[in-house]
Amino acid sequence: MRHQNATAYRFLTPYLLIFSIFWVWPIISSFLISFQATRTVPWRFAPTFNWGRLIGDPAFYNALKNTLLILVIQVPVMISLAIVMAVLLNSPLLKVRGLYRFAFFAPVVVGEVAYSAVFRLMFNLNFGIINKLLNSVGLPSVDWFSNVTPAMALIMIAVTWRWAGYNAIILLAGLQSIPDDVYEAATLDRVSKVKQFFYITLPLLKPIIVFCAVLSIIGTMQLFTEPFLITERGGPGGGTETLGLLLYRQGFRSLNFGYASAVAYTMAGLAIAITLVQLWLTRDPK
Amino acid sequence: MAAVTLTNVVKRFGGFGVVHGANIDIAEGEFVVFVGPSGCGKSTLLRMIAGLEDISAGEIAIGGKVVNDVEAAERGIAMVFQSYALYPHMTVEQNLSFGLRMNGNPKPDTERRVRRAAEILRIDELMHRRPKQLSGGQRQRVAIGRAIVREPQVFLFDEPLSNLDAELRVQMRVEISRLHKELGVTMIYVTHDQTEAMTLADRIVVLKAGNVEQIGAPLDLYDDPANRFVAGFIGSPKMNFMPARVVETGPGAATVELVNHAGARLSKPLQSTPPAVGAEVVLGVRPEHFFDAGKGDCDIAVKADVAEHLGSVSYVYAGAGDDELIIEREASRQRASGDHLTVAIKADKALLFDTKGARIR
Ligand SMILES: Nc1ncnc2c1ncn2[C@@H]1O[C@H](COP(=O)(O)OP(=O)(O)OP(=O)(O)O)[C@@H](O)[C@H]1O
Ligand SMILES: [Mg+2]
Repeated sequence: MRHQNATAYRFLTPYLLIFSIFWVWPIISSFLISFQATRTVPWRFAPTFNWGRLIGDPAFYNALKNTLLILVIQVPVMISLAIVMAVLLNSPLLKVRGLYRFAFFAPVVVGEVAYSAVFRLMFNLNFGIINKLLNSVGLPSVDWFSNVTPAMALIMIAVTWRWAGYNAIILLAGLQSIPDDVYEAATLDRVSKVKQFFYITLPLLKPIIVFCAVLSIIGTMQLFTEPFLITERGGPGGGTETLGLLLYRQGFRSLNFGYASAVAYTMAGLAIAITLVQLWLTRDPK
Repeated sequence: MAAVTLTNVVKRFGGFGVVHGANIDIAEGEFVVFVGPSGCGKSTLLRMIAGLEDISAGEIAIGGKVVNDVEAAERGIAMVFQSYALYPHMTVEQNLSFGLRMNGNPKPDTERRVRRAAEILRIDELMHRRPKQLSGGQRQRVAIGRAIVREPQVFLFDEPLSNLDAELRVQMRVEISRLHKELGVTMIYVTHDQTEAMTLADRIVVLKAGNVEQIGAPLDLYDDPANRFVAGFIGSPKMNFMPARVVETGPGAATVELVNHAGARLSKPLQSTPPAVGAEVVLGVRPEHFFDAGKGDCDIAVKADVAEHLGSVSYVYAGAGDDELIIEREASRQRASGDHLTVAIKADKALLFDTKGARIR
C-alpha cells in the first residue's frame, strides 16, 4: 500500500512541482510582498505601507465602486437571461437545438482581443451599428466611450454577451436533470406552465443557479479584459476602472508590486466574503 | 366518477404505429386493468386517456364527453406514475396540497382533503418529510395520496408497484383494492404482472403489440381465453401448449392425438365446424389441470427433469423443446428428477388452438 502511494506520488511529482512553483509560491509570495515597501531598493518590511495606503486611496475606492456596481447589476441580469435562454433551449418546440447550443456557447471561445475590437466597432459613435439601430428607431446616438454611464453599460453588455450563453449551457444541464414526469404530474395537478416554472423549475434549479452565480461573482471581481480593451484602460478618466485594472496599473505599469499584491488580496477576500454570504442566504432550510 | 370510452383509438409515433385501434368501454366505478408484455402500448394508452399524449385517430370520452381536445388539466383525472414523480423539493404535505394550493382552493378544504388522504393511506406521521427521506412503499402512498386529494373522476395507475419488493407489493395491492372499494371511483391500472391483474381487476384488458386481444372478467379470461396469447398470459405458471393432430372428426366433435405422445387421444366437443382430419392444432392444458393417471380422458407419460417444491404444491418440469411441460402436483413432495410420471388430461379442461393461435371452440 505504502509502496503504491509512493509510486503514485512519483507520477504526480511533475505536476506538484509546477503547481508549487507557479501557484502556491506566488500566492504566498504576494502575501508577503503586500507587507513590503517595494518602491525602494532593497524592498523593506513595512506592514502598514501598502495596506494603509489602500484604506485611504481614492483610486482604490473608485475601482471598488465600479467593480461592485458591475457585480450587482450585471450578474443578476446575466443569470436571469441565462435561465431564460436555458429554458428556451430546453423547449421541445425548438428545432436544430445543437446549432443554438453552439451559438450560445461560441462567445466563450472567441478570442478576447477580436471580440473587444468588434465591440468597439459596433458601439462606435459615428458608424457603429448600435447607434445606427438607435437612430433608426428615432433615438439619438450615444457616445459610448466618452461618458461614464454609457461606458459602464457597455462593459456590462459586453460581459453579459460573453458569459450568458456559458451559464445557459450549465443551467440547461440542470434543467435536463429534472424528470419530465414531475412536470406531467404538475400538469395533471392543474398547475399552469408559468407556475410550474416558479414553483418547480426554479427551486429544483437553485443549486445550479447558485453555482453559476458564484462563478460569475468570482469572474466579475477579477474583471479586466473588457475595461482594458473595450473602454481603453478603464476610460473615460478611470470611470470604468476595476480592481483588476487597478492591480495591473500598479503592478505592471508602476512596478509597485507591494501595493498590487495588497489589491489582489483585497479582491480575493471580497470574492470569498461575497460568495459565503450568498451561499448562506441561499442555503437549504433544514 | 365517470365512465371512460375508447373508440378506435390509434397512436402513431412518427410513422410508427404503437396502438392500432383500441375499443374499450369502462363503466363508472369499474376497476379495469391493462395487462400485456413490455412495449405493448399500455402506458401509451393510459397517457392518451390522461391527455399527456395526443391521439392520432379515434375518440376518447370521459363521463360521456369526448375529450380529444380537452387539456390534460381539465379532464378530471389523476395519475399515479411508475416513478412516483413526487415533487422532490416539497414535503409530503406540500406534495399533497400543491395542486389545490396552486388553484386557489380554499385553505380549510385543502387541509381537510390532505388530512383525509393521509388517514386513508396512513402517512400522517410522514407529513413533514421530503420524498428523499421516504421508503419506496411510503413514496408510493404519497403518490396515491396526491391523486386522492384531487378527488378525480378517474384514477390512472401506471405500474405503481413495480419498484416494490414482493411482500410490499402484495400489501399495497390489498390497499389499492381497499381504496377502490372506499372511493368507488373508476380506476384504470396498468401492469405487466398477471397476478396483479387477476387479483385487482373487475375486468382485464389484455394487450399485445398495440392490439386489444381480449377484454373480460379475470376468471372468464382464465377459463375461456380467446386465443393462445391470452391463454398463455393469464395464469401462473403458464399454460402448456402441446402440438397435436386431428385424427377423426364427427358432428360437433374432433378427436386429436398428441404429436409427442403417440396414442394419447382426446375427443373434444366443438361448437364450430371441426378442422379437417390431419390438420395440425395445439392443445393447451394448464399446469393445474393434470390429473392422476386414469382419472381423465387420456393419459400421458413423461419423465421429470426438475421438481420445485413450494410447500403446498410442487411443479414438475418435464420434457424439452416443444414438448416441455409444467405439471402441478399436490402431495408429491418425494418426486425427484428422473422419475417417470403418468398424468391424465380431461377434455373439458383442455383448450384447442389452431397453429396461428386462434381458439377452436
Ligand atoms: N415518445 C415515443 N416515441 C416513439 N416511440 C415510443 C414513444 N413512447 C413509446 N414508444 C413506443 O411505443 C411502444 C409502446 O410503449 P409503451 O410505453 O406504451 O409500452 P408499455 O406497454 O407501457 O411497456 P412497459 O411495460 O415496458 O412499460 C413501444 O414500442 C415504445 O418503443
Ligand atoms: Mg409502461
